[in-house]
Amino acid sequence: MVTIEINGKPVQAEQGKMLIEVADEAGITIPRFCYHSKLSIAASCRMCLVEVEKAPKPLPACATPVNDGMVVHTRSPRAISAQRSVMEFLLINHPLDCPICDQGGECTLQEMALGYGKDISRYSEAKRVVGNPDLGALIATDMNRCIHCTRCVRFGQELAGVMELGAPGRGEHMHISTYMEHSVDSELSGNVIDLCPVGALTSKPFRYSARPWELTAHFAVSPHDCVGSNMRVDVRRGKVMRVVPEANQIVNEEWLADRDRFSYTALNHPERLTVPMIKQDGQWQETDWDTALTRAAEGLRDIVQRHGAESLGAWAAYGASTEEHYLLQRLMRGLGSANVDHRLRQQDFRDQAAQPAYPSLGQAIADLEQLDAVLLVGGNIRKDQPLLAQRLRKAARQGAKIMQLDAVGHDLAMPLAEQSIVADLHSEMLGVLKALVSEKGEAAPQGLGEALAALEPSETQRAMASALLAAPQASVFLGNLAAAHPAAAELRQIARELAKLSGARFGQLAEGGNSAGAWLAGCIPHREAGAKPSTQAGMDWLQMCEAGLKGYLLHGIEPELDCIDSAAARRAMNQADFVVAISSFAGEGLKAQADVLLPQATFFESAGSYVNAEGHWQQARGCVAAPGEARPAWKILRVLGNLLDLNGFEYTSVEAIHSEMQALFGDVAMLAGEDWQAEQSWRPPEGLLRLASHPIYRVDAMVRRAEPLQATRDAEQAVLRANPATLDVNGLTGATQARLSQGGVSVVLPLCEDETVADGVLLLPSGLDEACGLGAPFAAVQLENVD
Amino acid sequence: MFDAIENWMQGFGWLPDGLITFSVIMLKIVLLLAPLMTAVAYLTYAERKVIGMMQVRLGPNRVGLFGYRIWGLGQPLADAVKLMFKEIIVPSGANKGLFLFAPVLAMAPALAAWAVVPFGSEMVIADVNASLLYVLALTSIGVYGIIIAGWASNSKYPFISAMRAAAQIVSYEIAMGFALVGVILAAGSLNLGQIVAGQEGGILSWYWLPLLPLFVIYFISGVAETNRAPFDVAEGESEIVAGFHVEYSGMPFAVFFLAEYANMILISLLAALMFLGGWLSPFQGVPVLGDTFLGQDSILWLFAKTSIFLFLYLWFRATFPRYRYDQIMRLGWKVFIPITIVWLLVVALMVLAGWL
Amino acid sequence: MNAMVQFLKSLTLKELRSGMGVTGRYFFGKKFTVQYPEERAPQSPRFRGLHAQRRYPNGEERCIACKLCEVICPAMAIDIESEQRADGTRRTTRYDIDLTKCIFCGYCEEACPVDAIVETRIYEYHGEQRGDLLMTKEKLLAVGDKYEAQIAADRAADAKYR
Repeated sequence: MVTIEINGKPVQAEQGKMLIEVADEAGITIPRFCYHSKLSIAASCRMCLVEVEKAPKPLPACATPVNDGMVVHTRSPRAISAQRSVMEFLLINHPLDCPICDQGGECTLQEMALGYGKDISRYSEAKRVVGNPDLGALIATDMNRCIHCTRCVRFGQELAGVMELGAPGRGEHMHISTYMEHSVDSELSGNVIDLCPVGALTSKPFRYSARPWELTAHFAVSPHDCVGSNMRVDVRRGKVMRVVPEANQIVNEEWLADRDRFSYTALNHPERLTVPMIKQDGQWQETDWDTALTRAAEGLRDIVQRHGAESLGAWAAYGASTEEHYLLQRLMRGLGSANVDHRLRQQDFRDQAAQPAYPSLGQAIADLEQLDAVLLVGGNIRKDQPLLAQRLRKAARQGAKIMQLDAVGHDLAMPLAEQSIVADLHSEMLGVLKALVSEKGEAAPQGLGEALAALEPSETQRAMASALLAAPQASVFLGNLAAAHPAAAELRQIARELAKLSGARFGQLAEGGNSAGAWLAGCIPHREAGAKPSTQAGMDWLQMCEAGLKGYLLHGIEPELDCIDSAAARRAMNQADFVVAISSFAGEGLKAQADVLLPQATFFESAGSYVNAEGHWQQARGCVAAPGEARPAWKILRVLGNLLDLNGFEYTSVEAIHSEMQALFGDVAMLAGEDWQAEQSWRPPEGLLRLASHPIYRVDAMVRRAEPLQATRDAEQAVLRANPATLDVNGLTGATQARLSQGGVSVVLPLCEDETVADGVLLLPSGLDEACGLGAPFAAVQLENVD
Repeated sequence: MFDAIENWMQGFGWLPDGLITFSVIMLKIVLLLAPLMTAVAYLTYAERKVIGMMQVRLGPNRVGLFGYRIWGLGQPLADAVKLMFKEIIVPSGANKGLFLFAPVLAMAPALAAWAVVPFGSEMVIADVNASLLYVLALTSIGVYGIIIAGWASNSKYPFISAMRAAAQIVSYEIAMGFALVGVILAAGSLNLGQIVAGQEGGILSWYWLPLLPLFVIYFISGVAETNRAPFDVAEGESEIVAGFHVEYSGMPFAVFFLAEYANMILISLLAALMFLGGWLSPFQGVPVLGDTFLGQDSILWLFAKTSIFLFLYLWFRATFPRYRYDQIMRLGWKVFIPITIVWLLVVALMVLAGWL
Repeated sequence: MNAMVQFLKSLTLKELRSGMGVTGRYFFGKKFTVQYPEERAPQSPRFRGLHAQRRYPNGEERCIACKLCEVICPAMAIDIESEQRADGTRRTTRYDIDLTKCIFCGYCEEACPVDAIVETRIYEYHGEQRGDLLMTKEKLLAVGDKYEAQIAADRAADAKYR
């Protein structure tokens, strides 16, 4: 620790820390543009010049390490004159277009100009003019306004992992652009909008639609992924105008994934459901709440009376709030059926009784940055949980060994220590386990001896095992593709053994936004709220499909698009006599299958709480009123409960439900789960396998309808991707399109050679309109040439 | 003049006696009220004109008659027509009967008091000996109209206004009564005709001089009694919007104003009768002028003296800001009442000494 | 003693009489009334009457939807919705001034960076129906188009004082 003096005030600081950080902590504000606490130091704007005694000239506070006995003046005449001069230079080329600039009113340059600017410019020469690159559907550019702080460049380089923006040219010719002309495709690209201190990079969907002073800020929690990002929702006259991050260092820091930032654009989608509707003789009719709810209640009661309560099932969305999950399962269990499930993107539930209370990351989100070795199994963490990937990227930059074990070699935009891309995740993981066992010289874990005995680990597998073993802090993560695996239970078992043997932590990257909340609330067939074993036996969603239930209550989902096994979902809906759908959006698929549509408020419009992957329980209060007749789902479920004469549905507020749940969740031990042993080991089916998981912009009904997101490169997923070798084997080399057939349904789609896909598999993501009706992943498919 | 009517009616001897008496009374009333109402109408015109001129404006000057502007003399007629055709709105929460009865209760005493007012030595409808008592009694009934209006409106401001009006009238009634006792002491009669007769003998023998403090207090109390500026806290448009008549519209609203202005004229006329010698000429007993027509007693003198007071009413309104409520109470109870009591003693002594 | 004198002095009503003297003098003074329809008071180029929206000489509307007038308006009489027009410029889709709320303070005109919203010399206007006094963008532009010559002349006359 050293002692320095800033503006006459003695300040204790760590040796080597930058002056601006020390001043910030001491509450002394130094003007700045390029400095950002989460980015590396560029010292390019020179706005933070301060006077340091005994230094011959003013020094930039952001790039001056503190030294013992330093005497700093940030407001001395010399410092201020330096800052004013810098400001004059910055304003030389800055256009005077604040009235039409979206940053106007929340612009750092505007504020600084007020404090340090001159009224009149002495510059009479022509101003610099820069072209505006088209950066895609999310970011609007006005590059004349750029002051070359390079925050956006550093963000791409350091946090997004892709240097999409750069600063080619030098001096007068320096400008920010993509090097080659292309859009900015990072899943975190929206953050450069917030980072930009001027109006050079602004939000395209928000463009010119409101002023910051018209907006009222509301808090919300994103339910699109398991991070539970905190969002500040800016509302103008009852309409959501934009979403920006709400800083929360333990969850999302100061960032937000584009999916969370731009999903609001779906709120006024033409398919938004705003009135209750009932199907009368095959025709949809708009009606009032009384009629629709009575019809729904009568229909459900009728099913119970005619076929018994066990022929009634409920499917919930991953992103529904914990309160909604809780009420839905209470409603179903009250009716006498434990058939309630939200795990629509999994197909192996054998180990469900042994699972922990909720699918957990196994550690705090912030701890990801401290990891030394990470084994990522099956899943594109960069696109599925962008902010978790961002944390791992930080760890990787500090030297952590990131190891990818997957069937598709997704570009994770971080340096990989090891990579293994194979179709059979199961045996590959067994190989790593074998390598670990032999390295440690221990006996094979119980129940796995037989499977391990015959294996000879490869070099990569050995390297992975020794990296896990050597690292003081290591983690094994199962991603979304692993969760969708037909032997996911066995993968979990192996991963847990891996972690146990190597001293690493085991974590699941839960598929949806509120999986943890759904597990805790009992929205699963085998457990009631608070992780208590269910008193009634219930079926998981695939068993429901097989059993051909007669009635369904759908909550916030579109079965064919949200279920990993679209074919099974379609079959189940067709077999049902009566389907009630509580939904914010009504697409053609849902309209064809449901009998009653109850308009639901989105998470922007209703209060609710969400549990993220690390078990952090966050509450949001809703930001705007729902359009038309749409109502928060907890109210709909509450009234439905009343109409069905169920006990304990007299909630008057969401807080009442919340406190009831609090009492139930209070003593839940967040266990790691019990050991579970597979009865038999999984073997991949013969033939070409299809890989499928939900891509980034298809995860829920809202994201699927967010037009700006659908206009990005990441949304272009309706393509059959396979390794050239695989195509060669199937006689498709050079073909531009192909017919994929799975379980009697076939689609014709463009075909694309993709080296990153493992041999013997074909990648066609689920959740696409084009993939509707296709079966589960890791099942055999036929591919035909149609050229 | 009233005798002439009676005589003329006697010509219809073939009619039943009762009918003749009734007709005579009716005719007398019409003969009194028609000019009175006209005077009220034009008093509103005068008010706007005088206040306008004191505020360096012209006042109403557009509405003329028969296509001529004539300084806006058509204004009162236009106002009357407008008010008559306006909708009468009764608030849904109001007590409908009382709401409509209130303006009547304000108007009736204001007119009834005129029955005993003499316009000349012989010109009076009812020559009652206790006429001053009668006038005093009736003018204090008028406030019930305001109180009932305030209560029946079932609205906050009117209610506050009613409370203020009640307190104010009670306070000033006493001072006014004492002032009149002085007049009664001096004149030795309650009959207005005899009070005037007692002032015979020129401007210096009118009661204004010996009763000067009582005269001033009487007139100021009169201003307060009629709820006129600067004592118009019951209306107080800047504080309680318009007080008791917030909820009134159309003719009921107009009737309140008719009553207020009729009261103004009455108070002015009484002041002229009791302190300025009524119809007596100021030049009585003056050498040269006293012998000309100016020395004659005339109703015109009465009207002239009344007009002075009416003008003062308007002048006050154009000049003084509204009293604060507590100031009104202080003035009534702590200033006027003591002064009148003291001066009553002085008057009594003067009467004993035979100076009056 | 002093208080007693003060009290006795107050009985002379001196202040009241001098007050009445003032009004009395004005009663006979010269009247300032302007006989409006026949006579008119002179108008300044800064007169703040009916609002108008101006155009550039090439016919393009000046307003750029910066919303500064909306935020400065103390009566909250201005209502603006904006969006990006097809040619990429920032434009209003709605620009309403509610004249029944407006207090004619002229702040909108002061705030406007492009002299788009102006207050004209027009003060003789009325509405016969509900909504007549809600000036929409079309109405404002129509006023501007009609009186552009005078508006421009007034701005020019005032320019040297700004």
